[in-house]
Amino acid sequence: MSKAAELAALIGSQTALSNRNLVINGAMQVSQRATSATGIGGTGDTYKVLDRFRYGLNGGDATAGRFTASQAAITDLPGFGFAHKLDCTTADTSIAAGEAFTIQQRIEGQNLQQLAKGTSSAKAVTVSFYAKGTAKKYMLEIQDAENSRIIQQQFDVTTSWQRFSITFPGDTSGTVANDNAVGLYLNMWLHGGSTYSSGTYNASTWKAQSNADRAAGIDSFFSSTDNELFITGVQMELGEQATPFEHRSFADELARCQRYYFRINYNGDNNYFAAGGVYTTTAAMAMLPLPVEMRAAPTAIDQSGTAAHYGSWGNGATQVCSAVPAIRGSSSKTTCAIDLTFSSLNSATGTYNYRIVNASGYIGVSAEL
Amino acid sequence: MSYSVMKTNEDNEVIYQRTDADGLVRRTCLAHDPEFQSWLSANQSSLPDDIQAKVDDGILTIADAD
Repeated sequence: MSKAAELAALIGSQTALSNRNLVINGAMQVSQRATSATGIGGTGDTYKVLDRFRYGLNGGDATAGRFTASQAAITDLPGFGFAHKLDCTTADTSIAAGEAFTIQQRIEGQNLQQLAKGTSSAKAVTVSFYAKGTAKKYMLEIQDAENSRIIQQQFDVTTSWQRFSITFPGDTSGTVANDNAVGLYLNMWLHGGSTYSSGTYNASTWKAQSNADRAAGIDSFFSSTDNELFITGVQMELGEQATPFEHRSFADELARCQRYYFRINYNGDNNYFAAGGVYTTTAAMAMLPLPVEMRAAPTAIDQSGTAAHYGSWGNGATQVCSAVPAIRGSSSKTTCAIDLTFSSLNSATGTYNYRIVNASGYIGVSAEL
Repeated sequence: MSYSVMKTNEDNEVIYQRTDADGLVRRTCLAHDPEFQSWLSANQSSLPDDIQAKVDDGILTIADAD
């Protein structure tokens, strides 16, 4: 296609020239929680490594399969420095009916209004991504959980990098609410039991969600410990054309990720993260300012699991915590309220500064979808 | 990993905690936290007693699965 034809195609498809990509962290640049994690596969394993990419393992049955996920540095795909790598470490060849494994990105409804979904003007979307790995057939799916509708297309991974480009037509049924809740799920199905695979595969046709169709005809990532998969350059954009991947700066991508999750790590001995007051000599509350307005008031915090990694300074004394920090409901989109517990502070009044006192300490604040 | 009730704080909010396989509590959350709700949905037939009690009392509601 000539440059003029490419431009005409872009204009014709009404594709924006910037901020095209509805996927956050598509180049796998941001990994606040960890750059790798092992033994993933339990039903509670959701966000483990790369920001915004969630593992869906909450089928009716738990898989015995396990994998290591990492933010892998790559040098064999020009223009990209990282990929999301999955490495099967425990195979699962006795697949119960309700097993499921997806890589998922949840997209806010207010970011999807340009799709005009559920109207007569509904627009097509194109999903593109680079993948390589053990040769397998997997499924890409857009799921409108609010209206129980799906559209899918299989794709075949090979041992060499390929750029996949899949265009889905607009959906004139089922509007997406214009709010900060989940509007659509972008799912890559990598494994599914008969509950999700005993149905019929219909390529690129919007239909009512039939769970039996969702992984129909795909292979299983958990078939062998030889299996691995690399993915990067994930883009979802308005229109029928896959445009070149929209690279964003690290700072831009980090800020986008921090709308959903923010982690502050230990950064030296004077690592104060918040100030706050005390209720009693044993109970304190820290108010942690958030660097980006979050999607909603935080609903969870995570930390290292060791109380002594956190402490206070105030009234001329330092002290370590006697219980791990805990979330409070009195948080807002811009400030996270955190309970800190001590065996005995030297005052039941006044202002204290709270800090992370061990290199293994961190506080992560979640407003995930 | 499993969830349990951590405490009820000064604002009468029930705080839940996730205990990992090594016995450490690395996550605390509110009732409507999506990850906690996913766990509740996946385990609602065999919830720990303290969580089940909150459900039975109407304090904790399990949202529809994804």
